[in-house]
Amino acid sequence: MLVANVLAFALLTASAQAQDGGRWGSGKNLYDNVCGQCHAPEVGVGTAIAGRGLPEDYVKFIVRNGFNAMPAFPASFIDDESIAQVTEYLSTLPAPKALP
Amino acid sequence: MSVQNDAILPKGVSRKEFDKAIKKFRALLGEENVLVKADQLVPYNKIMMPVENAAHAPSAALTATTVEQIQGVVKICNAHRIPIWTISTGRNFGYGSAAPVARGQVILDLKKMNKIISIDPVMCTALVEPGVTYGQLYDHIEEHDLPLMLSFSAPSAIAGPVGNTMDRGVGYTPYGEHLMMQCGMEVVLANGDVYRTGMGGVEGSNTWQIFKWGYGPTLDGMFTQANYGITTKMGFWLMPKPPVFKPFEVIFENEADIVEIVDLLRPLRMSGTIPNSVVIANILWEASSGNVRRSAYTSEPGRTPDLVLEKIQGDTGMGAWNLYAALYGTQEQVDVNWKIVSDVFEKHGKGRIVTQEEAGDTQPFKYRAELMSGVPNLQEFGLYNWRGGGGSMWFAPVSEARGSECQKQAALAKGILHKHGLDYVAEFIVAPRDMHHVIDVLFDRTNDEESKRADACFNELLDEFEKEGYAVYRVNTRFQERVAQSYGPIKRDVEHAIKRALDPNNILAPGRSGIDLDTYKKT
Repeated sequence: MLVANVLAFALLTASAQAQDGGRWGSGKNLYDNVCGQCHAPEVGVGTAIAGRGLPEDYVKFIVRNGFNAMPAFPASFIDDESIAQVTEYLSTLPAPKALP
Repeated sequence: MSVQNDAILPKGVSRKEFDKAIKKFRALLGEENVLVKADQLVPYNKIMMPVENAAHAPSAALTATTVEQIQGVVKICNAHRIPIWTISTGRNFGYGSAAPVARGQVILDLKKMNKIISIDPVMCTALVEPGVTYGQLYDHIEEHDLPLMLSFSAPSAIAGPVGNTMDRGVGYTPYGEHLMMQCGMEVVLANGDVYRTGMGGVEGSNTWQIFKWGYGPTLDGMFTQANYGITTKMGFWLMPKPPVFKPFEVIFENEADIVEIVDLLRPLRMSGTIPNSVVIANILWEASSGNVRRSAYTSEPGRTPDLVLEKIQGDTGMGAWNLYAALYGTQEQVDVNWKIVSDVFEKHGKGRIVTQEEAGDTQPFKYRAELMSGVPNLQEFGLYNWRGGGGSMWFAPVSEARGSECQKQAALAKGILHKHGLDYVAEFIVAPRDMHHVIDVLFDRTNDEESKRADACFNELLDEFEKEGYAVYRVNTRFQERVAQSYGPIKRDVEHAIKRALDPNNILAPGRSGIDLDTYKKT
């Protein structure tokens, strides 16, 4: 491709999101960048999901199907392994003080 | 759940022909990138429009990772007359999300093409693939400590610049008119050619992301909100991060104040004193994005009474209109402009100015300040909690940046929404001369009766605004054919002539913006 010629002087980064061990690299990364943007208790847009012992199958079902205003995410955006990682990560977080 | 989706086919395509195409897609992309099972396709079919999911169900989805693969995809599509609906991140909520405009179209999902190909911190430019999100870009800029600032729409953390710009979305910084800041596209055409706009066709050029126009016809805009090609790379300009950023809010108590607000703002926007895309949000937009729920005030169905809105204003200190803007530059520049701006509003006397120091971390000031300074968040999804039920359609007529016009549009929209038992949840996004009057038609999609009302309401909004000479700048996939009609037959004839020239087999997103060689009849 011509890109290398076109941008020879530029800061060539070819940066892509982490691909190893799940597209998002870690459950924390996925939570911080996607899930937590709505579901973190301090945001309050989506129901808090941390520390509630949500089963992986349930998390996967909601991620793939969405629910009411919650959008659905295909595997190209959040792969199965990343769902497993974020489920594990959620289990390590403290439970919210009061469930909505 | 993991069964082949046998029920859905592209319009006019036989099962036998479809299966031949799927076999070729698998050979080209690999088994794992050709999705035909129901549980693989369901995420692409989650919509917020008042119509059954089935009307926008895909027959398959393909994930591609290279330009060469996309060239191969269009070759197969041409051979078997397979219509494809391309998405980048598929986060166009309220405009159709990831679902195709017509049932049976095959989704071409480019989310895995997520390389930030280059960021030049000196020239302040970027070149990215379609799957790159604003959140990813933000992390990259932070990680490399680049002196740059992003501009994005409200679903910033998970949406991306290619999809947003190709749909002519806007943001909230001085670079908020995103197509204006776009510079250089790479587009795979229906015949497989790879076309680069602007300077991109010049061998060895280093100005593809620098100079928009190139030579001869400039076609970038033609590919936006259109179905003439598949954008595989896009360049855009980034704003140098200013040393000082000063966001502020001005709260107005009365709905009628909109006339004076707009007429005060226009000169400040035209002169560049306020450089960013200002927002004027009404009470319901402000309240819901600040996590106020309708259920906390009333359980009555239908539109929310004015008395409740006044109660919310009283309880929260929010205004009937809430203006958000920001100043950018050196301390000296910001000081000078702040004096000009604050003098205007203080002299006017009706607005209450709130600075960041006064607002602290309160919402919605916090997320507004973040949007105006290029920090992604999803706080505005609080809108969807106002009524609940997951129904949302953006009705976004263009208005003059003239107070009387904004008031006229607001009154017209409010009357129609109330007639259908829905709320006027709106903001104006203020450019120097135009306003995007963005109304979120929120409804409970789990309630069939309310969904029908929302659908009738949206039709009436389009009809009644059209009678006044108004039209929307963008619309969800259910209403794209209808809105194309508002812009007149000659425009449509030209668009279809281009379509015949570039995509004679009508394989690229037929129906996008009403452009469809199979259904369009020249007047």
